[in-house]
Amino acid sequence: MNDLPKQKETNLSFEKIKKDILHPMQNHKGLELWIVFLITVISVCGWAYYIQLKDGLGVTGMRDYVSWGLYIANFVFFVAVSLVGMLISSILGLLRIDWITPISRIAEIIAVAFVAVAGLVIVLDMGRPDRVLNVMIHGRFQSPILWDVTVITTYLTVSALLLILPMIPDLAICKKELTKASPIMKKLYNILSLGYINTPEQHKHLHKMIRTLMVLIVPIGLAIHTVTSWLFAATLRNGWDTTIFGPYFVAGAFVAGSAALIIAMYFFRVNYKLQDYITDLQFDKMGKLLVAVCLVYLYFNLNEFLVPGYKMKTGDDIHLKELFYGNWAIMFWASQLLGNIIPIILLVNKKFRKPLPIMIISLFVLAGAWFKRYVIVIPTMLHPHLPIQNVPENFVHYYPSAIEISVTVLSFALVLLIITVLSKIFPVVPIVETAESKGIEVKIDA
Amino acid sequence: MKNTIKNIAALFLIFIFSGSLANAQGWTVPNSAKKKQNPYEATSKNVSTGKKIYNLHCKSCHGDPTIANMLPLAPVAPTDLGAQNFLVQSDGEIYYKVNKGQGAMPTFEKTISDEDKWMVIAFLRSFDKNKKVKQQVAEVKNPEVTDVKLELNVNEANKTLLAKLSGVTKKGKRVGLQGIEMSFLVKRSFGYLDVSGEDPYTNEKGDVKVQFPADLPGDREGQVNMLVKVTDDDFYGKLEEARVVTLGVPTDPVNPLDERAMWGTRANAPIWIIVTFVGGVLAIWSVIFLVLFQMIKLPKLAKSKD
Ligand code: HEC
Repeated sequence: MNDLPKQKETNLSFEKIKKDILHPMQNHKGLELWIVFLITVISVCGWAYYIQLKDGLGVTGMRDYVSWGLYIANFVFFVAVSLVGMLISSILGLLRIDWITPISRIAEIIAVAFVAVAGLVIVLDMGRPDRVLNVMIHGRFQSPILWDVTVITTYLTVSALLLILPMIPDLAICKKELTKASPIMKKLYNILSLGYINTPEQHKHLHKMIRTLMVLIVPIGLAIHTVTSWLFAATLRNGWDTTIFGPYFVAGAFVAGSAALIIAMYFFRVNYKLQDYITDLQFDKMGKLLVAVCLVYLYFNLNEFLVPGYKMKTGDDIHLKELFYGNWAIMFWASQLLGNIIPIILLVNKKFRKPLPIMIISLFVLAGAWFKRYVIVIPTMLHPHLPIQNVPENFVHYYPSAIEISVTVLSFALVLLIITVLSKIFPVVPIVETAESKGIEVKIDA
Repeated sequence: MKNTIKNIAALFLIFIFSGSLANAQGWTVPNSAKKKQNPYEATSKNVSTGKKIYNLHCKSCHGDPTIANMLPLAPVAPTDLGAQNFLVQSDGEIYYKVNKGQGAMPTFEKTISDEDKWMVIAFLRSFDKNKKVKQQVAEVKNPEVTDVKLELNVNEANKTLLAKLSGVTKKGKRVGLQGIEMSFLVKRSFGYLDVSGEDPYTNEKGDVKVQFPADLPGDREGQVNMLVKVTDDDFYGKLEEARVVTLGVPTDPVNPLDERAMWGTRANAPIWIIVTFVGGVLAIWSVIFLVLFQMIKLPKLAKSKD
């Protein structure tokens, strides 16, 4: 789509691109094993969820004080990661940054998988999931919960459209080329490709739709994470009662999402043998992007902790001391140092922006982002304004139960399963766009 | 002379002994905290306020001062707070312990106001035999009586309440009971408001007169629920008189849930938030549907080529 300043001379032809990208989808033994593994994990952990459903939320570690626990922390993390779709394919796409072409679909797949499961995690956190529709039926416009549910469904819809629409030309190719595909899949390709044969009218029409959605998803993406932050910031609690929570969450989301994308890029590059497409250039650029968003996030963290830390006003003091050198210090500082500051220091160095090192660093960033969400949600719940008195011992602490951990593992497995299945049935690197960006002529037969 | 020295020495020993007893229970009170003094005078009003607070917050565990009917908690039972060997402690020491708590003794740092804590201490001090200025309410000896009655007269014009406490003596004569504290309470949304004023003790005729506040809101007709009672049940048992009186300022009640507000029901959401939400959802979803609709056109565009 974009006219690249000719990179290296490539000996790629359209046929070769098609073959390189489509081949691993059908001929990857490990992939099936991996899917079986994920399904096993989901079934085992599904048993834990069945127990929770049967016996109620009492089987979790959540009690009267900590009523938002592991599940909600995980939910916030999932929403955060899903924001990468908006960052890569929309913001950078609209800016016509060209190196994102081969990785934009991976970003969109991640977005769809994480936001879909994020919505599900909320349902998993409900004692009576059969009443979930009541949120819509009886929801109050004043409540951030209604906004959150609305905005997540909308983001899921638009992300799914942004996954499918740019893929239509590729699906038309799949329809022709993937002769070994099952009849159901052939039908799917046939329906989704919408009779696309790359006429100039179709090309123009399609890209107009895509651009509309790319603009549309920017406010939705901002809203999804801002509203999620309002779930916290709209309450008068120490640690949540801050005005920068919206942008702070959005910045944190870009960090988590970029890290997740880098990890996914690495695995697709290695397993699908896409070295010619997801090149060192993409890792180098993503590394720089990660440094940039980490710096923004660091800046927000400074504001979020230094300013209240300087004042130490009553109420905040207990909370902040617990984070800085109390019970939560290890988790807090680990997430700040390993998940943000050290990665910045390493990644400004070109050597560390090579695929393997940056993938490992991203694992730390992603884990740090997860623990950061945990530190945002739970300590505040443990420090209400009224002193905790005369309550059973297990109200005073919060440790996630085995059931809770299993259900959380389930949600992760589900995300990975969705990503795996999507990457098995859809080409993870855009075929047509890649060819176009390299100036190779594209031919799609009717 | 020798006796005086002996007395002083004995007192000294008692001090050390009781001090070590307190320490044995593991309280550590910093010296600076011990020096604090009760900033409130031990007036009868303050002592009686303290008593009310004590009955509300402390009695359930510590029982009645000097009676030693505490709750038998283990491992450490609550102290009899009227006992002399407890009252040797300074005001500041007691104040510190009430604030901090220990074991089964809760912390009252945030749950009771400072003023109220000092009132309780003033009340406890009234049992202190070593206290130089005895501020206890002058003991009034009432004759032994039966059939104690509490009568209430309401003067709506002057907004005054007159309560009369009387009983029948052995000789069969009904007499007023003197020096008894009464409580005049008005029911509000959450509990009772005390309107007893400074000196709600019966006079020699058994009467006590209270001026009802001029600005207290009542219902639409100005009615309020009044409860008049003998403050302390210990004297004559539970004696109270409840009555609806028309002494309040007539007020049209406002239900905060009736107005449009952030805290309202969905039907009472502020207009701007409904407009923002519905408008935003409609705008975004109409674009989504527009795009979906455009998708249908795509196959047609392929045919137009032929
Ligand atoms: C839940 C029961 C409970 C309540 C309510 C309670 N206390 Fe206590 N209190 C205790 C116990 C038990 C101890 C003994 C603690 C120890 O020595 O370890 C104690 C000890 C004390 C002491 C220290 C006694 C000493 O020997 O030095 C003071 C003073 C005290 N309470 C005052 C109060 C006051 C004033 C209130 C009401 C505002 C109150 N307490 C309410 C249970 C209670």
